[in-house]
This record gives sequence, structure tokens and C-alpha cells, in this order.
Amino acid sequence: MILYNGKTYGTELQDELLRSLRDDIGKTIASGIRPPLDDVILACDTLAQRVMNGSYDDILIPFLKEFNVSNEYFAELCYMFTREGLTYKVQTELPEITEIKTAHFTRRRCPLGVLMHIAAGNFDVLPAYSVVEGLLAGNINILKLPMGDSGLSVRLLSDMIGICPSLAPFIYVFDVPSTETESIKYLADLSDGVAVWGGDVAVSAARKLASVNTKIIAWGHKLSFAYCESDCSDDDLRALADSICLTDQTLCSSCQGLFLDTDSDKELDSFSERFFEILKEANDRSRPVNYGMRAKNAINLYNEDLEIDRTGSTIRKSNGMSVITRRDSELELSYMYRNVWVKKLPLSSLHELHKHKGYLQTASVLTSDPVKRKIICDKLAGIGVVRITSAGKMSRSVPGEAHDGTYALREYTRIVECEFD
Amino acid sequence: MDTVGKLFRSRDIYDLPKTDALFASAMRETCSFCYRNCDDYKRILDRKGFAPEMIDSIEDLSDLPFIPTLYFKHHHLKSVPDRKVFISATSSGTSGTMSNIVFDLRSLLTGAWMVLNVGRYHKLWSVVPVNYIIFGYQPSKTNRTAISKTAYGFTFFAPAISRTFALEMTPSGYKLNWDRVLKAMEKAAHSKFPMRTIGFPAYTYFLLKDMKAKGIRYKMPKGSMITMGGGWKQFYTEQPDKQEFYRLVKEVLDIDEDHVVEFFGAVEHPILYTDCRCHHFHIPVYSRILIRDPDTMKPIGNGRIGLVNLMSPMVRSTPVLSIMTDDLGIIHDEPCPCGASSPWLEIIGRVGVSDIVTCAAGGDEYLRNGS
Repeated sequence: MILYNGKTYGTELQDELLRSLRDDIGKTIASGIRPPLDDVILACDTLAQRVMNGSYDDILIPFLKEFNVSNEYFAELCYMFTREGLTYKVQTELPEITEIKTAHFTRRRCPLGVLMHIAAGNFDVLPAYSVVEGLLAGNINILKLPMGDSGLSVRLLSDMIGICPSLAPFIYVFDVPSTETESIKYLADLSDGVAVWGGDVAVSAARKLASVNTKIIAWGHKLSFAYCESDCSDDDLRALADSICLTDQTLCSSCQGLFLDTDSDKELDSFSERFFEILKEANDRSRPVNYGMRAKNAINLYNEDLEIDRTGSTIRKSNGMSVITRRDSELELSYMYRNVWVKKLPLSSLHELHKHKGYLQTASVLTSDPVKRKIICDKLAGIGVVRITSAGKMSRSVPGEAHDGTYALREYTRIVECEFD
Repeated sequence: MDTVGKLFRSRDIYDLPKTDALFASAMRETCSFCYRNCDDYKRILDRKGFAPEMIDSIEDLSDLPFIPTLYFKHHHLKSVPDRKVFISATSSGTSGTMSNIVFDLRSLLTGAWMVLNVGRYHKLWSVVPVNYIIFGYQPSKTNRTAISKTAYGFTFFAPAISRTFALEMTPSGYKLNWDRVLKAMEKAAHSKFPMRTIGFPAYTYFLLKDMKAKGIRYKMPKGSMITMGGGWKQFYTEQPDKQEFYRLVKEVLDIDEDHVVEFFGAVEHPILYTDCRCHHFHIPVYSRILIRDPDTMKPIGNGRIGLVNLMSPMVRSTPVLSIMTDDLGIIHDEPCPCGASSPWLEIIGRVGVSDIVTCAAGGDEYLRNGS
């Protein structure tokens, strides 16, 4: 489905609409009008209230179930779209939104202009959220839907336009398949910036397609982990275990595994044993992982067991969850869905994770020694981790938080300096 | 004659009870061979406390350690010396990594008996020459995927007048040549000999949909057949309802439902499962299937969904006698109107949520490829 200037169309009209897009966008730019911030906030806030009141349950409930999104996490997401959440976000990310005047210049933050969003298919709300960010920064937005889009993005965005029709000329949604490179190149050429969500393949494809004079804002995939001292409390380990069960380790910020500050295999094994018991309890009190994922990991764990002679790993498993003690110190993706690895990584070797720069996101720190905690936090910040949290807060979402080490709204704007008033 | 050879010469291809004892002996024979000649396989069995002699009856097969297809993607297991390797086949690599399975001549000849018997039962053999249209790869020296070889192999069920490939090898790699396929279709429609298509169901479906959209309709000669194999792969979510598919075939090519035949098999389990006129994949005497509970890995019997464990003694050059697939399936033992007495396998889907790419999993792309 296509959303174009407030109206929805079938994909058979795509070529025709793509042809008129340049002119229509040109007219909006020429008019000098920008999406009114108050309207963007009003539309989102109204929509968030409707979502919370159950107006979208027909589409949301199956989605929440499929992704195992908990009610608490969903409430956090909704809050980000409320008036309070968005106002705070804008104030935090664009503090100098008003003009700065000096004796010689006026400095003003302006939108990039036209912003294209290449959304990833892993989270249905994300494409619409990306467009909202583009609107908050004052841009005209072109959204390329991910493959297999459920129709939620077009519905949410056209409902926003329904609430505030002034937003219509700033939102365009196309369902162009990624294989139609000519059309995507054309859209990128119309844009001042391209925000691309997805893995390395998506990001490098976007870099290849866009001209050198188009800014690429890459929201790539990330990995997160916990860094632990043996003296950490059971409460901390329980909080970590709960967050692992809550997110099923599928988010960029989810904990994939635990590094222990040690070089002793014996210490590592007893720590793994301790965490296994805690994660097992957390798993037993959480809603079950879906059957297909459990089946997939049952094969993964069986396969891992066949490899034990070579790897020296120890597998502890129960009821679909597992703790695998490995003998190396590499950062890696876990099997996810409550299957974590535990590895030794002495504090003196923590800097070795720097080789993963650009891919590190959240690290939680588990220790009961405040002095040690400070040292660990500094080291983590130094190697490129962008969010350092306590055990249970790795995946919390709050308005105004930096995204992968930067503020999205700043990326979607530019500073214009003018000598004349 | 060895028991494996004897089993594969069985002509009552769906009479399982009659071959239970023979099947168990054949499995023991292949198991012993692999155990003696493949160190990695021996290590796996030893660790699981299993020895080939422990296979005494068909019931004992549930204790035979299975190997996940995943394992073959990281290990090249072989139980024959290199000079005896006749074909080295790889799976088509949906997820990026491919398994490599080797076949010696003896295993292939064993399989040939099966193809002969299955083809006879399902009336696939024909002396009338046909025009083949293959929705698959043109075989080449660089393409070692089993599916390209299998598709080519299928063009020998009936003498070929012509073979047209949808995926053509060009200097820049494989390219889909729709126009050429459409031209071949038109030519076949005007021929007095039947046409047979072979290939991935997804390609077959997309072509027919495209033809329908363009208003193209043919009346294919009598005896024409649509044959499909290789599964839906990455197009899994676009898989149409079976009846819708048969209606489309009838509408566009005027071929009846009973001339649409689907095959199921895997490079790690090269058994020719052929759907019956009710479109059920009955288990032939050359294999047995156990459905296992993912939490306990114990067999859960027929009628319940679980992991699909496929067993066959056909191949002895790679220890694939008991493999665990990535599929979830169910075995039905209700009587089938087609008359075949053996239960049938229904694949429900792949394990895991394969079409959902999580962002943490994406981060791993880099770790695997970049560092």
C-alpha cells in the first residue's frame, strides 16, 4: 500500500506516483512550510491514547504475541509517543531549537529537508517511529516499507494525518521491494538524508545506492552483554535473568552473554552454575518461549553437545533455557530466547572488545564494589560501549535517550549559520 | 545380497510392516560401516553409549543417535576414501552455509533402485518423449547443489525432446530468463508431445501467477505434468493454499490436479518422497521417520507435531543414516483414499521464526563476516 499526500493507493499506481513525487515535494519545499511541531505531538499523543485504549488491538495483539512483547515493555513504548514523552525528547535532543544570535551570526537548527527511511522488518512499529522522528526534526519523510510489512505503518501514519491533516505533505510511504534498485536510487536522490535501519548488508546497500552528496544515517545492528565480578549479588543476577527472559535476547540492547572478570576456569564454572540456577528460576516464572524457537534451540544445543570434545564448553540446560560456559573470550551472538553464554574476560583484557567498535551497545555492570564499578564503567565507555546500566535496566526505553551513541533528531537536522538577520 | 541392496529392491514401496525387520538389518549394516570408517561418527556414537550391534529391531532405531543437518554444515563427514567419492553434493544453502555430503557409486546405485520403483508406482516413467521446462539451475561445473543435479536427473523419467532452464548460467552468474521460459511454454503448448515442468514450487507458482496476470492461457498436450521439488525455501510465507495452486495450474495450463506431482527430499536424506493423488507424502519402505519432542528429544508418536528425524540406510559414504532436520512435522496414520498403506509426513514449517530478523542477530552478521 502507498500513502501519498494523505491518501492511500494500491501499489499498481506506484510508478505514476513516483513520477509526480519530485514535483510535489518541490512544491512543499518551495512553500517554506514545515510540519508544525505541535501538530506532530498532538497527532502522536492522540494515537498513543487510542493504542492504549485498545483501538488497535486487532493488529497489535497478534503482533505482541508473536514477538513475545510484554505488557510492561509495550507500555514503555507507548509512553515514548505521548505528549510528555515527545516534548521531553525534543527538548533533550534539540536544545538549541530556537535561534542563537551572536554579534556576527544567527545560528539556527534547520531540518535536513527530505529524509528517506529504509526501515527494517524486525519490529513493526519501527518504520512509523522513524518517520515520527523525521517529522519532529521538521523534515519531509519518504518511507520505504520493509519486506512483509503488515500494513501497520500505513495505518498509523494515515491515522496521524487524519488527526492533523497539516502533516499530509510531509509523509510519503512506498512499498518498493529492495530489488527495485532504480526506484530506491531515485528516492534516495530526492532526499537530503537516508536513515537506514538494519544489518550490515542493508547499510552497505544504502551507501552504494545513494549519491555521495546524500547523508547516510545508519542505525545498524548491535550486540550487548553483561560484565560481572564474582562478588555480584544474587539480586543483580536475578534482575539480569528477568531482563533476559523479558526481551528473549532479541533486542540490540538485550544481554547475549556474561563476561566474568577472571582467568580461572574453576571460578568461571562455579559462577556459571550459580547463574544457571537463577536463570532457570526466572525462565520457570516467565511466559514460555514459543514452540518453534524452543525447537530450534533444542537442535542448537544438541549440536553444541556433539561439538563438546572440540570446544570444551559446558552446557547446563533446562526447559528450553541454557547457560553455556565457553572457554574463549570473544563477544558473540547467543542462541537467544534465554540461552546465554558465560565467558572469562579479566578486566585487564577488557580493552580487547574495542575491535568490535561500532557494534557495541549496552553493557550492564554487576559488582558490589563501587570503586571497581567506576573503573569498569570508565573502561567500557573507553572501548565504545554507548550505554552502561545496572543489571535489570539494559533494555529500558526512556524518552530522550541517545540512540546508538547519538541523538536521532540531531542527525536529522543541520545547523545553518547566517550573517544576516 | 546385502540387506541394504535387498531393501532398496523392494517393489511394494509403501508396505512398511513387511520390511521392518529388513529395514532394521539394513540400518545396522550401514551404521556398522560408518562406525568403522568414519572417526567422527564413531566418536559421536561412543559418547552417546551406542554401538551398531544394538540395532536388533525397528524399535531400537529410536536410540540410534541422530545428527542434526546443522552439524554437516560445519563438518565434512566421510566414511569412504576420496578415490571412492563419486558425487559431492551440497544443499542449496538457504541460510548461507551449505552442507557437503559425498556419495560413493554403491550408495547411488542403491538409490537408483528406489527411483526405479518409486517412478514405477507413481507412473513417472514414460516412453513418450516430452519437452522439459526446468525452474532451476542449468547444471554446470561450478554449481554443485544437489537440487540442480536432481532436477537434471528428473529429465530422464521420459526421453527429452528439449530441456529449457529458467536459471541460466551467464558470465556474471545465474540469471532468471523468464522470456525464454514463456517462449518454451508456448512452443510446448503447440507440440504434439507432453510437457513436463520440474523445479522449485515457488518459481512454478510465480511464473503461473505472472502468466495469469498477463492473460496467457495454454492448453498443454495430454499427459503433461507439473513436477516440483526443493521446498518453498525463502518464499515460505508466500506459499499459497494447495487447492489455489491446483486451480491456477488448471486455469493457466489446463493440466489436471492429478498431474501435479510434488517431491520431497534433502541432500542429507536423498529419499524420493512423492505425493500421492491426495497430495500426501507417504513414507516409503526405504526410510522411517520419527517425530521427536524438542524438550526431551524422545519420540512422541504419530499425530503430534515435533522435530522431524529422518532415517534411511541408503547412503553409506557419509553417516546420514539418522538425521534431524530443521523442520517441524507430523506423521498421519489415518487411512488415505489413494490406497497406500503407509503413514504420511506433513511438514508444518521450519523451526524458529525464520522470517523475523532480530536486531541482535543482525549484529552477528558482522562478527561472522567482518572480524
